[in-house]
Amino acid sequence: QGKMEEGKAYSPDGVFAHLEMLEARAREAAVKQEEMERQEEKLARLKARVQELRLQRDELRAKVDLQQKGQLGKEGVVSDPAQPSARAVLEWKIKSIKAMLQVFYLTGISGKLTKRGVCFCISTAYEGTYLDSYYLDLLAKPEVQIHRHSVPIFIPLEQIAKKYLQTDIRRFLSVLSDHLNAYVGRRYQADQLQEHFSDQIEGTLQRNSLCNLLVFNYNVSSKSKTFPFNVRLLYGDLCCSLPTEVIVSCTPDAPASLAETAAAHSDLFRHVALHKAFCSFSSAEES
Amino acid sequence: MDETVAEYIRRTVLKIPRDQIKTMLQKWGFLSETQLQTLNFHQIKENISQDVVQLCEENSADIKQAAVLDIIYNHIYPNKRVWSVYQMNKTGEETEFFDLTDFKKKFKRRLRSALKNVTINFREYEDNAIWIRIAWGTPYTKPNQYKTSYVVYHSQTPYVFISASVLKSNLPLLCQALVVASSYHDIREMELRSHSLNSLKDIVFKRYSQNFQTYYPRPLQERNVAPESTDLRIIQENRNEKERIQRVNREVFGDGPQPKLEFAQYKLETMFKSDPKMDVLDKKEPFRCLVKFSSPHLLESLKSLAPAGMADAPLSPLLTCIPQKARNYFKIREKKGFLPGSFVSP
Repeated sequence: QGKMEEGKAYSPDGVFAHLEMLEARAREAAVKQEEMERQEEKLARLKARVQELRLQRDELRAKVDLQQKGQLGKEGVVSDPAQPSARAVLEWKIKSIKAMLQVFYLTGISGKLTKRGVCFCISTAYEGTYLDSYYLDLLAKPEVQIHRHSVPIFIPLEQIAKKYLQTDIRRFLSVLSDHLNAYVGRRYQADQLQEHFSDQIEGTLQRNSLCNLLVFNYNVSSKSKTFPFNVRLLYGDLCCSLPTEVIVSCTPDAPASLAETAAAHSDLFRHVALHKAFCSFSSAEES
Repeated sequence: MDETVAEYIRRTVLKIPRDQIKTMLQKWGFLSETQLQTLNFHQIKENISQDVVQLCEENSADIKQAAVLDIIYNHIYPNKRVWSVYQMNKTGEETEFFDLTDFKKKFKRRLRSALKNVTINFREYEDNAIWIRIAWGTPYTKPNQYKTSYVVYHSQTPYVFISASVLKSNLPLLCQALVVASSYHDIREMELRSHSLNSLKDIVFKRYSQNFQTYYPRPLQERNVAPESTDLRIIQENRNEKERIQRVNREVFGDGPQPKLEFAQYKLETMFKSDPKMDVLDKKEPFRCLVKFSSPHLLESLKSLAPAGMADAPLSPLLTCIPQKARNYFKIREKKGFLPGSFVSP
């Protein structure tokens, strides 16, 4: 028997037999290997064929689609499929969402759901100029309450919340937004006045945190002489950026004609924004 | 000019850093520009102050003008004093039309009706801050200009910032005058104290950075992004944890700078919890203990604890609630675990 146990080739006869056996094994393995490679080649060829056929199918489908849409062009393969790429769709979606959020922000009240409630952003503006934004972090449970906020301390937030927060949150936001917008509007007018018309103002402009009481002196010229006017603007309605009460007074030694001017100014301040009123003064003087 | 006034002006000028003296005198506006030109600001301060007093003599300065210079000094260097915050309450809901002239009149009248010998000065600033300087005397002595209290009040707000002097006995008087002048009902001291007046304002006026969740894309602030190591062999093992800590920190502390506080104090009146076998305390009494955190900038240092690896994130709410609760003095009792102070928290 030529069979040798593995690793026991000690006799010279056994060595050769062993070598023969190994040769036989190698030949078998080589044959098997060839067979396998042939199989793989065949498989690859078939796969490629499948791909080809699939591609053809897609092209034919696209053609059929186009035909159905009535856009029958040339016979043959349509080079640009009508479907946009997935990436383009995603980009378009992001763009339109951003635009939507921008719109919400521009309306003045926007919000985002948080883990425990909602965070609202009230953005303010006055006559086309966007001013500050204020935030309210609300909790929904156990009842609607304000967790944190960045509303200025002199705005009566607690009062407004007590009235509306539990019952009508829309009204709450609306009223608060009115307060904030009116406040920034009044502040903007006072700031504009100090910035652009400081030469017409005598002394300091007395104001307060809410900008709902302004007292100052300004110069009015009549017949090439200047007279000081004192004005006291009281903004009784905190949701309004125009004063509810205006007192314009001049010194006792001023000519009588100025009393009319004072009355006219008083009326103007009640209906027109402060800085715009002063703008009209300077243009009136020039004319 | 009064001797005491001269001396007071001299001492006030000595306090001012040399390079600021000219600016402050200009702000004061009591000495004319020509007079200021005659001053030599390069000599030693002792001599500068003497020269200033000489000029004030020429203009016959009185205590009121000297007091204004003192207010200006304290307004520019408020951090040299310790400020406490007081909160006022009122029940009415009428709209306030804070009238400055009215306020000043009422305040002076109320204070003077109780104590005649006081020097009261007001100065208003652009940010609606009203500074009040009060020098206290007694019923029998003139006001001592070196024993002053400062009050800073923003109209139509319920908060008053007071830097009291040594004479604590005058505090109730001062509080009463404030309440009457500002049309409130009562006033109480908050558990909030610091050297940094502006930080105290930031805390109670909620001007510090709070991280609000919003969809509106705020411009991303440039963060210090450490350059990614180009050597691919170096990887961050606990990158996830680092990012989690950063995120939690930002949620709690916000993005901007923190208000500046120097300390936080926790008075513990809780039971000592130990192994019953140890039996440290015979009586079941609260273990009284005071924990005080001090730092040149407490909140910033708390913010950097977790990223530096010295504490777990999130930090204890006892530490992180300081700006939101507007207090840095706490009393911790048993049961509820967190019972702040002797007043109901706002």
